Amino acid sequence: MKTIAIDIDDTLNNFSETLAKTHFAHDARYTVSAEIFDKYLAMVRNKEGEEDELLSTEFSYFRQKIHGQCFDLAVARPDGVEFMQWLKQDGWRIVICTSRDMRRTEQSTRMWLQENGIPFDYLFVALDKLSFCKAWEVDYLVDDHFSSIQFADRYGVKVFYPIMAGQVEPEAGFARGFGNFEEVRQWITE
Amino acid sequence: MDNRVDLIKEFYQGLPTNRVKLETFHYGFDFLEKLLTDGIVLRYGERYITGRFYKYKLANVPKERIDGLLQAHVRKECNVCLYFDGNANGLFCFNLDINHKVNNTVMIPEMAVAVTLLRDILAGAGCEPLVIASGRGYHCWCRLDAPVSNERLHKFMLGAMARTFYGLQQNGMDHRKIKANFYPDPRTQDTVSLRLFGSEHMNTKLFSQVLSREGLLDEAASWKAFEEHLRRHAIIAEAFDAGYASMTSAA
Repeated sequence: MKTIAIDIDDTLNNFSETLAKTHFAHDARYTVSAEIFDKYLAMVRNKEGEEDELLSTEFSYFRQKIHGQCFDLAVARPDGVEFMQWLKQDGWRIVICTSRDMRRTEQSTRMWLQENGIPFDYLFVALDKLSFCKAWEVDYLVDDHFSSIQFADRYGVKVFYPIMAGQVEPEAGFARGFGNFEEVRQWITE
Repeated sequence: MDNRVDLIKEFYQGLPTNRVKLETFHYGFDFLEKLLTDGIVLRYGERYITGRFYKYKLANVPKERIDGLLQAHVRKECNVCLYFDGNANGLFCFNLDINHKVNNTVMIPEMAVAVTLLRDILAGAGCEPLVIASGRGYHCWCRLDAPVSNERLHKFMLGAMARTFYGLQQNGMDHRKIKANFYPDPRTQDTVSLRLFGSEHMNTKLFSQVLSREGLLDEAASWKAFEEHLRRHAIIAEAFDAGYASMTSAA
C-alpha cells in the first residue's frame, strides 16, 4: 500500500509564524512573575534551551503552555489541506508523524486536524522521523526538520520539505524542497 | 490462567481496562493490523529512540482482549499500562522520577531518601505503600478498600509529597532533583498511564522489583511481596479519612 508520513508543525501549518506573532499576555496560569514571563517568552521564541541539568523545570512547563497555544492557533496551509484530501481520495495510507508530546496534545491535535479537514489513518510520535519511516517501510516523508532533509539519502526515504523564505534549495536527491504541495503531488505520482 | 494474571487483575481492579498503553518492540503495519481487531482503535503510537521500542495508546479494548494482554505482560512479551478512572479510584500512586536530562536511570541519593521519607509518611498515615522500582525511580502504590474521589486522593498526595520534599530539604537535599507525579491527577487522568507490576523495563530490561524496607527484592520475592501486600494492606475508609485529615492540615 502506498504510504506517506507527514509532519504537522511548519509543514502543514505556520507554527513558527504563530509563535513569533501571537500576543501572549501574562496571567496567573503561567505561575511566574511578569519579568520572568517576558524572559521565558523570548527564550521560547528564540528556540533557546536552558542550561540546566534538570529535565522538568519552571521553564519547560512554561514552554509547553506557549507551544500548546500555538498548536491550537496555527493556521493550516490551504494547499496542504488540499494535498491531504487528495492523498485520501487516491488511496494512500496517511501517517501523521510529529514530535509533539501526545500525552498532552492528542486531543487538541486531533481536533485541529479535524477542524481543518485533514484526513489521516494513524497518529505517531517520532523524534527521529527518518528512522521511523525506514522501520515502517514508509517511502515518503514530508517534513521541515533539518535532520530529515540532511540524512534522507542515508535512510533511503524520499523527503519533501517546505522551502522557507530565503532558504536555498539543495541539489535534488532524496530530499527536495517545495513551494507548494502541488509539487509534492506531482513528484509522488511520477 | 496464570496465577500472576489473577493477582494483577485483583490488585488493579477498578482501573478502567478499555484504555491501555502497550509497550512493545513489535512494530509495522502488519503488526498493527493484527493488534487493532475486535474494535480496538489506536489513539496514537510513539517510537522511542532509546531502545527502539514503541508505545501504543489503545482505546475500545474489549474485556476479552485484556486477559491476553496481561498474559503477555507477565510473560514479558510486552508491558501493559493502565489509566485511572476519571472520577474515583480504589488505588493511587506516587510516581517518583529522577529529574535529570541525562543518566536518569542511575540512582541518586535524593531518590533513596525521598522514597524512604514518603514510605514513612504514608505508613504513619495508615497507608502502607507497595514500592516498585520503575526504571527512573519508584512507583509507590496504595490500595483502598473502596474508591475515593480523585480530588480527595490528589489533595492527600499533595500533602504527603509536600512533607516528603520538606524532609528532603531538612536533609540538605534539593527536592527539584525528584519529579513527582500523582495518579490519579484531575489535570492529567485521561492522558497519562502507569506500567503495571510484573513488567520488565523496555530500556534497562530490569524487572519491576519491589523495594522493601530491607532493599530491592528479586523477581520471585517481589511477586510474593506483591501478593502479600494485596492480602494485607488495603486501606479502610476510616483510616484514609484520618490520613486525609492529617495530610491536608497545615504541617
